[in-house]
Amino acid sequence: MSRESAARRFAVAAAALSAAAAALVGLALLAGASPLDAVRALAEGAAGSPAALGETLARATALVLTAIGASLAFRVGVLNIGLEGQFLAGAVAAAAVGPLLAGSPLAARAGLLAAAALAGALWVMPAAYLEARRGVPEVLSTILLNLVAAAGVSGLVRGALQDPGGDYPQSRALPDAVRLAPLAAGGRVTAAILIALALALFATLLLEWTPFGLKLRATGLAPAAARAIGLPRARLRLLAFAASGALAGLAGGLEVLAVTGRLYDPFTAGVGYTGIAAALLGGSHPLAAAVSAVLFAALGTGSSAMQRDTGVPGALATIVPGVLVLAVLAARARLARKAA
Amino acid sequence: MSGFLAVTLLLAAPLLLAAAGELLLERAGSIQIGLEGTMLIGAFTAFAAARSGVGPHSALLAAAFAGLLAGAAFAVFAVAGRADPILVGTAWNLVAAGGTAFSYRLLAGATGSVLEVRTLPPLAFGLPAAVLAAFFVPVVVDVFLARTRPGLALVAAGENPLALAATGGSVVAVRTAASVAAGALGALGGALLVLTVSPTFVEGVTAGRGFLALALVVFARWKPLRLVPGALLVAGATALQYRLQAGGSRIPYAVFLALPGLLALFALAAARGRGGSPKALGTPAP
Repeated sequence: MSRESAARRFAVAAAALSAAAAALVGLALLAGASPLDAVRALAEGAAGSPAALGETLARATALVLTAIGASLAFRVGVLNIGLEGQFLAGAVAAAAVGPLLAGSPLAARAGLLAAAALAGALWVMPAAYLEARRGVPEVLSTILLNLVAAAGVSGLVRGALQDPGGDYPQSRALPDAVRLAPLAAGGRVTAAILIALALALFATLLLEWTPFGLKLRATGLAPAAARAIGLPRARLRLLAFAASGALAGLAGGLEVLAVTGRLYDPFTAGVGYTGIAAALLGGSHPLAAAVSAVLFAALGTGSSAMQRDTGVPGALATIVPGVLVLAVLAARARLARKAA
Repeated sequence: MSGFLAVTLLLAAPLLLAAAGELLLERAGSIQIGLEGTMLIGAFTAFAAARSGVGPHSALLAAAFAGLLAGAAFAVFAVAGRADPILVGTAWNLVAAGGTAFSYRLLAGATGSVLEVRTLPPLAFGLPAAVLAAFFVPVVVDVFLARTRPGLALVAAGENPLALAATGGSVVAVRTAASVAAGALGALGGALLVLTVSPTFVEGVTAGRGFLALALVVFARWKPLRLVPGALLVAGATALQYRLQAGGSRIPYAVFLALPGLLALFALAAARGRGGSPKALGTPAP
């Protein structure tokens, strides 16, 4: 999570790339397919046509936002593992508020996204409180909040938020006028990805290039030094909790607004955890994390095509990010010990 | 009523096994938040072994062995390698969820048909021996931690690793052993799901039970015997929910699902200090 020298970064990247390549080749061979065919099908399925690329970008939005959220938190030394729950809180807020909003579509969208971000920030607050006041590790409380959020979604889509017009466990659909329209007719990609990428840029500028960002980083890197020079540690950490929660909540809101149009159960296949993996691969640097997130999304879209064309199971798209992160963690820890 | 009690015990056993293993590891100062993944590995191994034609008891053993290896692999990264265990655990869940889904598809092919396996035979009260034995595991763990020399070394590794190292103990060895034991118990918990509750494997068959077990450890405030009432409460609530659902009750289903997480959060909030967590929890070995 600390700043690394160019040589170290190169060594870590080399370890990660070789581990990912080995995993890809090994898994393809295990499935009895030619690794070359599998990779070709994967790449074509992820970005071989405008439709495929659009699908990848649509899928990437939520991942990019949770990855930035995780990066911000990690850099300040806050181990927010609860992005999954904060994502769900944002989606619930969007599904709850969406159908009520009147007025222009633009105002409705802004209201919906604000509610989602607020819900995500609020959902992490018990963890921030327990950590600040009691020293309870936020890792434990944020995981517990994930459980409660998943249970909440499950109950709400069968209860208070259930679409009265149907028997399915899902919420009412957002009005078509409110939903984000595709950027290209017939495609799936909307302005949501632009919002996510803009926020990645903004987070990078704030964290890496402003005096305030330096304070945030110092809180995570050298807590004792930060305290000694009088930085308000508690306030900066609270801000990191809230900002990462808000980003995850926004991701949930945008998922409803741009992709699904409603809430259902289960609403996530681990976007919060994969977002953390993207952040780790990107060294908790928001822009690098966003790139990793797009890469993971591409793996996700490409793997369906790969499964169809070569018979290699699409679950490869879940394995490879995990292997990448394990390789990065092992390489970093090894280099850190060598340096010490 | 006996039906309700039997279902409660059946549902509590996998949670108890996984939580008891995780408790051991956390008392030793490491933490595996990828317990869900370890349970999945156990469930899939038991399924694959049973499909290959061996009996349910051998399938259980195979799962335990896979769990030992899983625990050792985790220790290579998070204990000996000194990578942050929380981050390793996050990646672990991805690899395990993807790996078991991948392997299942290779084994079962693209057919949508359900592949059943033979379940464990009942011993008493309609429950298999392994389910009944699960309730003794927290007792064994409690005695081990409080009354044996290796148990004391394990607690030292979690409370004051520097002191353990200063007296000639190896924090890495202790935590690795704890991780191996935790891996085996977690995998056994996952295997029980396949060999008792639903005799087949589906992707994500553990359905969040690994996270529930993590919550139970917190709820028990890292005391083994307190795992039993916690697991019974959660399992009982789930069993009650099945019964109420069958009876057409409209009690919000989410109340039951949310219960373990909420209970653990309240336990953390109500406890003094760090909620009773080991002092060196999650810190690298010296």
